Amino acid sequence: MLNNLPYEKLLQECLSGELRLVNAGLPRSQQRLSDLLHEEYPHTACNDGSTHLFKKKELEYLASKTSPDEQKALLLPILIQLGQNQAEAAIICQTDVTPKVISRILDMPVTPQQGRITIYKPQLALLRKTLKTTTQYVFSTKIVE
Amino acid sequence: MAQLIKVRPTKIELVKLKRRLALSQRVQKIVKDRLSILTLEYLQIAREAVAAKRKLIDVYSEAYRALSFASGYHGYISLEKELIATESDAKVTAGSRNIAGVRLPSFEPMNNGSPMRGYNMADTSSWLDHAAELFEKCFAATIELAELQRGLELLGMEINRTKRISNALEYLIIPGLQATIKYLNMKFEERDREEKGRLKRVKVLLAQK
Repeated sequence: MLNNLPYEKLLQECLSGELRLVNAGLPRSQQRLSDLLHEEYPHTACNDGSTHLFKKKELEYLASKTSPDEQKALLLPILIQLGQNQAEAAIICQTDVTPKVISRILDMPVTPQQGRITIYKPQLALLRKTLKTTTQYVFSTKIVE
Repeated sequence: MAQLIKVRPTKIELVKLKRRLALSQRVQKIVKDRLSILTLEYLQIAREAVAAKRKLIDVYSEAYRALSFASGYHGYISLEKELIATESDAKVTAGSRNIAGVRLPSFEPMNNGSPMRGYNMADTSSWLDHAAELFEKCFAATIELAELQRGLELLGMEINRTKRISNALEYLIIPGLQATIKYLNMKFEERDREEKGRLKRVKVLLAQK
């Protein structure tokens, strides 16, 4: 038997820290694309106090894919939720514009279900390649048996 | 074989161990998800870094060729005289972006918005304009590669760290907890059996009296 209770305690703290770490970089608030386009340094503050910088190229790309009305409704960064299944991810849609934009970028029809669009790894890779700074991962802590 | 954790064989300890096991399994799932995302991003950045490096080499060779044409056309001395006053600070927007808890640098060259490069347009040729344009592209390509290379380094380090945690959970912590829980359960069952045997023995003794 191992006599390692302090070590065990430390390990538990490390594991709890790991849970906090994965979602530390989430933005405190999402911002409209129309607002970000007019900022000199488009950025948003994160939960851990750091700032997340948006690339102007990506914002311009998104602007080219959306109408002025859609730009006002599109909230950035777009959140991608992970954790339900390793093979798929869910894009959280807070407005009706997000599915339209995702559909145009992936060049395929998407249907949101309960405010989420399910995508698979190849589509996730494509989306992240195009929108590096305008998408953000969220880790779900629910266990699905 | 999984090593047992030294705990007092009580029901409270069993409940604590079960809670710890649930937390470890939860963390393991998140760590695995994170590892797969980090690997996906790492491979993507690696591919982009290779393409950026190729682009950088091409752009630099083209730029130096254009510069040699310009210097051949104007002559070294007159070209140096034209360019001596054109030095300006390179402006870059620097920030960070977060990928699954890893902060990666993000650079973007700032455009000063002016088409003028500082040298006399009347005394220079289009060869020099072409060379200047290509060197601006070199600057942008260098920044892009710097961002990707640093991102690769940081992601690589984080992947190593996450892999260690994942392996520790998978091969050490969770099996240890499961083995200890199993051991405690067996111990409690054994106690129950002993208790039943003792009760039977007492019953027989009482019946004999």
